[in-house]
Amino acid sequence: MLKEYDGRVRLVFKDFPLPSHDLARPAHEAARCAGALGKYWPYHDRLFANQPHFEHDDLVRYAVDLGLPRAEFVKCLDEHHFAAAVGEDVSQARAIGVRSTPTFLINNRPLVGAHPVENFRSAIDEALRDKP
Amino acid sequence: MTARPPRVYTIRFALLVALLALVGAAGGAEPPVVDLSVDPTMVKGPRTAPVTIVEFSDYQ
Repeated sequence: MLKEYDGRVRLVFKDFPLPSHDLARPAHEAARCAGALGKYWPYHDRLFANQPHFEHDDLVRYAVDLGLPRAEFVKCLDEHHFAAAVGEDVSQARAIGVRSTPTFLINNRPLVGAHPVENFRSAIDEALRDKP
Repeated sequence: MTARPPRVYTIRFALLVALLALVGAAGGAEPPVVDLSVDPTMVKGPRTAPVTIVEFSDYQ
């Protein structure tokens, strides 16, 4: 998708771990730890590929598999270096009315739930028409 | 290699009525503007892109 719209679309990921998913919050913190160590997107993809296996050992193994330094990663995860950042994303999501995942904003246009790729294409095309 | 918090910037969104309906705001008023923080490590694509997609997701 992003390749197709080369340079014209930017994707911003925001953490919205649902309270009912008790393993989600550590996973979101872990992804940010991986990001601080230079591997955000590979780790993010690894989490989606392996859900819902997000026990502490799983989270550490994914990091090590990606070549991240174990001690640094575990310290970041166990000391909750990014707990506040994840909490901030949740607060912002709530403030604008996000209630379920996934929720997308495409230049202010909300798209709630999983949609076929054509729906994204038409929303992006519409946004590009408004703002060439 | 040390885990350092990335420098966060913000993007500004004027919200559409459709989303306002979700929060139960009154119609007719100007849409409020909200700032969303952006962690640059959690972004794909250039900052200059005319279209920004913000995805709120749960890994679990």
